[in-house]
Amino acid sequence: MKIKTLSRSVDEYTRERSQDLQRVFHNFDPSLRPMEKAVEYKRALTAAKLEKIFARPFVGAMDGHRDGVSCMAKNPNYLKGIFSASMDGDIRLWDISSRRTVCQFPGHQGAVRGLTVSTDGNVLVSCGTDCTVRLWKVPRPTLEDSSVSSENFIEPAAEYVWKNAFWAVDHQFEGELFATAGAQLEIWNHNRASPVQSFQWGTDSVISVRFNPGEPDILATSASDRSITIYDLRMSSAARRIIMMTKTNSIAWNPMEPMNLTAANEDGSCYSFDGRKMDEAKCVHKDHVSAVMDIDFSPTGREFVTGSYDRSVRIFPYNGGHSREIYHTKRMQRVFCVKYSCDATYVLSGSDDTNLRLWKAKASEQLGVILPREQKKHEYNEAVKNRYKHLPEVKRIVRHRHLPKPIYKALGIIRTVNDSKRRKEDRRRAHSAPGTIVTKPLRQRRIIKEVE
Amino acid sequence: MGEKRRSTSKTLGKNKRRKGPHLPNSILKTIANEKRPLNSDEEDDEIDSDDAIVDLYEYEEGVPEEESRKNNRYDPVVNYNYELPEDFEDENVESDDDDEGGNSDNEEGEGDDVVRHTRMLQAVTGMPSAAFDGESKRKPVLFTEAYPESEFNPTRDVLEGKGLLTIDELMAPIEGKPGFNELEKRISRMQKDAQAVVHAPLPKPERERLERKAVKGLVDKEFNKWVHMVKRNREAPTVYFNQNVSLGYSTVGAIASEFQPRTDFEKKMASVLNDNELGEAHDEDGAKLLELNEVSVEDQIKYRDHIAKMRSLLFRHELKSKRIKKIKSKTYHRLKGKDLKKSAMGALMDPEMAKEEAMKQEARRVEERMTLKHKNTGKWAKRMISRGLNVKYDGTRAAISEQLQINATLSRKMNSTNDGSSSDESDDEEELNDGSDQDTPSKLIAKAREKTLKTVEDDEVPNSGLLSLPFMARAMKKKNEEAIEGGKRALEEYEEWENSGGEENPKKTAVVSGRRVFGATAKVEAPKESRKDSDNFYDNSDSDNDTEGIENNDLGAVRDTASPARNTGAITETEKFDDDVENPASKTTFDVALFASGSWKKMKGCQNAETKKKLKKHVPYSKGQDKKESRDDESEDSESEAEEMVDGILTSASKETYEIPSQAELIQRAFAGDDVVDEFEKEKQEVLNQEVPEPEKPVLVPGWGQWTNIQKKRGLPSWMVREHEDAKKKRTLDLKTRKDARLRHVIISEKVDKKVEKLHTTTLPFPYTSKEVFEHSMRMPIGPEFNPATIVGSLNRPEVVKRAGVIIKPLKFEEANPNEKVDDEHPRSNQKQNPKKGGKTGKGQSKGKSKQKTKA
Repeated sequence: MKIKTLSRSVDEYTRERSQDLQRVFHNFDPSLRPMEKAVEYKRALTAAKLEKIFARPFVGAMDGHRDGVSCMAKNPNYLKGIFSASMDGDIRLWDISSRRTVCQFPGHQGAVRGLTVSTDGNVLVSCGTDCTVRLWKVPRPTLEDSSVSSENFIEPAAEYVWKNAFWAVDHQFEGELFATAGAQLEIWNHNRASPVQSFQWGTDSVISVRFNPGEPDILATSASDRSITIYDLRMSSAARRIIMMTKTNSIAWNPMEPMNLTAANEDGSCYSFDGRKMDEAKCVHKDHVSAVMDIDFSPTGREFVTGSYDRSVRIFPYNGGHSREIYHTKRMQRVFCVKYSCDATYVLSGSDDTNLRLWKAKASEQLGVILPREQKKHEYNEAVKNRYKHLPEVKRIVRHRHLPKPIYKALGIIRTVNDSKRRKEDRRRAHSAPGTIVTKPLRQRRIIKEVE
Repeated sequence: MGEKRRSTSKTLGKNKRRKGPHLPNSILKTIANEKRPLNSDEEDDEIDSDDAIVDLYEYEEGVPEEESRKNNRYDPVVNYNYELPEDFEDENVESDDDDEGGNSDNEEGEGDDVVRHTRMLQAVTGMPSAAFDGESKRKPVLFTEAYPESEFNPTRDVLEGKGLLTIDELMAPIEGKPGFNELEKRISRMQKDAQAVVHAPLPKPERERLERKAVKGLVDKEFNKWVHMVKRNREAPTVYFNQNVSLGYSTVGAIASEFQPRTDFEKKMASVLNDNELGEAHDEDGAKLLELNEVSVEDQIKYRDHIAKMRSLLFRHELKSKRIKKIKSKTYHRLKGKDLKKSAMGALMDPEMAKEEAMKQEARRVEERMTLKHKNTGKWAKRMISRGLNVKYDGTRAAISEQLQINATLSRKMNSTNDGSSSDESDDEEELNDGSDQDTPSKLIAKAREKTLKTVEDDEVPNSGLLSLPFMARAMKKKNEEAIEGGKRALEEYEEWENSGGEENPKKTAVVSGRRVFGATAKVEAPKESRKDSDNFYDNSDSDNDTEGIENNDLGAVRDTASPARNTGAITETEKFDDDVENPASKTTFDVALFASGSWKKMKGCQNAETKKKLKKHVPYSKGQDKKESRDDESEDSESEAEEMVDGILTSASKETYEIPSQAELIQRAFAGDDVVDEFEKEKQEVLNQEVPEPEKPVLVPGWGQWTNIQKKRGLPSWMVREHEDAKKKRTLDLKTRKDARLRHVIISEKVDKKVEKLHTTTLPFPYTSKEVFEHSMRMPIGPEFNPATIVGSLNRPEVVKRAGVIIKPLKFEEANPNEKVDDEHPRSNQKQNPKKGGKTGKGQSKGKSKQKTKA
């Protein structure tokens, strides 16, 4: 026979230590808590407001260059190191935590246009308008680096002179090849003085190149003929090419989705493509009001950061049409390069005002050690805000951003222009035979064709 | 060699048909039938046979004159000397292609050479003889060159580098020589073997395009292998990064143990801390510690010097303050005082100054209270208020309220400093309280009697002004007499009530007390009294009413005591009602409600019924508690009206003969009072008016648009009228479109609650496709108060879980696990609702060496 009895052990109700929390027993019957939804809505609202209050994304600026920062490279093997190069040929290694220059790499005669680091973090490759490619040995990070302020200079390990000026360089992921973009796309080996492979399709110069982190032999380039091309090194041939209406300034592959890449376009939008089907973009990311100069994916693959000629840095979700965040300061000028830190916590931007800026990827995130309860609270706030984000008040607060006046005005103008275009198109359609005027979807509108 | 050429031309033809240079037909033919000898006249029988050779350049020009038959300058030659001899037999070729031998009988009718030619073609090309059927049937056409062919005038073929030689031509001279057969065999083998043929390279762009096509396919394949991982990642409710990376030490102790002393100080500290001797001493007892704790002489000296220095500093400071205190200069002290005053601290610190400040404040307060400078007594303020400008303009209102604010602050009592004034005020209050609180009937009566007596006794007549005029004096006297009479009567009443001690009495006394108030002197007194006691008394504060005489006292009682302004008009009203008294019809209708709630009491007052009847008409004018008394009065007189009222309805008709009413009538009568339908309609109308308010009538702001008579005549501007019309139309339309427009007995509220509004979205948010799904996603709360602790974590988990400070590596490829079931039924949007499912999928993977995995 089965007898049901109440059994309560003392252990359940007593704390083991005085620091432990008292156990509270809840009755979760929803009829006892009729206001739960209202309570959560209120909490969502509060969370949204708190997020706004704590939104202080700017961590610090790194000052030292004497000309606009043209490019940056993150050390894939060392979180605190970031390399930056400026238009006067100066290359620096920064310590992010102390925000000071660790060492300098003098040698380039003209502007440095490309900078990249091998995956093991030992070799820095730079190239520029002085038609040279230079390889540098990256100093080992030591404890003293952050404390000692003396700036040491490093000699290049190798220097290769080539026929044309370079626009960009990128290193293969876990390999020893790197690709330079100039008059044509060239593939170099660390140990060879001349490129091991060279690709040319058309006569226009290549302006950016990026290796696929997931597929080390596939790389994408953009050229000044407004094209985006995907190459495969194993086949030593191009695979695909599309021509767009405007030039693509930079390309980034999604590190978590090796078939997807996002192109930063001159028209102020970013276009996410599927490498298998380039005739239409998967997503158009609009918000910048001027050319997007650089783009970098978060290592989590869920976000990417863009720097624009409109003096702002924006963070987009990988599948969202509009930015989640905009960063700007009064002193920040045209942004030429942006990087997402390797732990997806920070964002770095280099701009024309000779400074590197360090931002938090999440503006209101609490940095430092967070206790478990604190962490839970943050998570709950985030979850509840996410749940009620569609309600008007929460949405309004979450979406609200202060914009610099020029951007705000430009947005207004763009909106007006788009409206009038749409109106015109509507009228045209209304006054012509049905079916004669076909509107291309936005995802295809800026793509002219795919070249065979 | 011939074979190779053919295939080249074929591919060319395929890709670029009907394009390319205009080659003469002869060349084309040659290309087609390589086996045929060059420059042979045999060709000319096939000049027009373009259509038969589909995969070649097509000659689009007209046939040149010399090629047409018109100018046949040369005879057709049947046989060429370099044609293979008739007896020559090529066994290999023949034997290989015997399978098509059956076709040979078709050519019986033709010449022998044609048959042979076809056979040869067959042998060379390996195509069925049918392919060459057409050719042979064509009429022979002469091909001529402009000049006779010679070494100085080669054919066009030769000039263009296509002077083609066939293998047979080359073989002809060596025929029969040793090794010929072997060579022959080899050649034929080569011809048969299609694989060995080397194609001519394609043009570069062509070639590259093909290459790219191939690469494209490969790249796509490469990308496709990632799909399962990408899909899994995208569909996972949470993506984890670097969860199993050990970060090394995390405790303070662990970090400290790694510490290496670097600076001198640190080293010194370390040497002391790590000193074994000290440690032992500490462990054992304090005695040895003392030994070790030797103080060096230098340290002692240092310490002593330090103390001495501090002392001397203190002494100097003392001297300085003494000197300052001795200074007698007034300017110095004034400046110093000023400084002190400036600082708020000084004021706080110095009690004298604080006192002074308080005195000043008090003086200001007194002044304010005396002058009432800030109480809107100024000329400007008065003007503003009188013209109502303060209501109209915000600025003015603000200014006036600011003045009042200043007044309030200035006249605020200073608690700490002055006690006298407060006591005054409290006295006043007490007095007030006296009036209101201790209103036991007996006392009140006594009080009233006292006052009445007083007024009755001192009835002095003013001997100046308006009242001193003879007719006024007469009237006054008359009134006085009446009043005195009334007073006396009242006194009698008081005595009577005092004896009976009834509950109702105080009211009456109050009424009486008000009655004797008249004239200039009484005016001041009476309102004061009445205001104090207004809660409990229905008193009659205005002298105006009293002029009507005693009968009117009740009338006065029901009038609003607090508003003297109304009383001027009251006289005429009362007179009018006097007239009404004669007219009995006027009393027929009553508000039923009056009877419903009122207490039904009889009064034993001395007032006659007639005066009370008048009161009925006053009911609408009375307010608040006044109603009560009037009800009482009415009750009395309704009784006197001999029960004319049935069920709250007064019928003036006298009793008739009784008839048994019909059922309908009965019902009607039973519910006669509560006209539910009507009430409901009214209610509905009200609701409608509230929800769809009627548009305001267009009015001109006085002074605007009335500048001239013309404008006045024109009336309202047309736009105003139009707007009003539109608004009206809109209202009617709105009323029509309401849900309850057709339902007469229903009110369906369409009011929008603004507070609820913010809890709804106007449109369905993006990822959701149906309302139900969206609502479902919001249904269950996710907070820790509403859910057990075991699932709160998974409910609130963010989409990306990563650790700060750990480098996230790009995705590593791993084979798709066939056992794993990817649940694609849950899109990302509502992933939060079912985190458990994702958990099952990812766990299997997490065992592997992958850095990044999916689970819930």
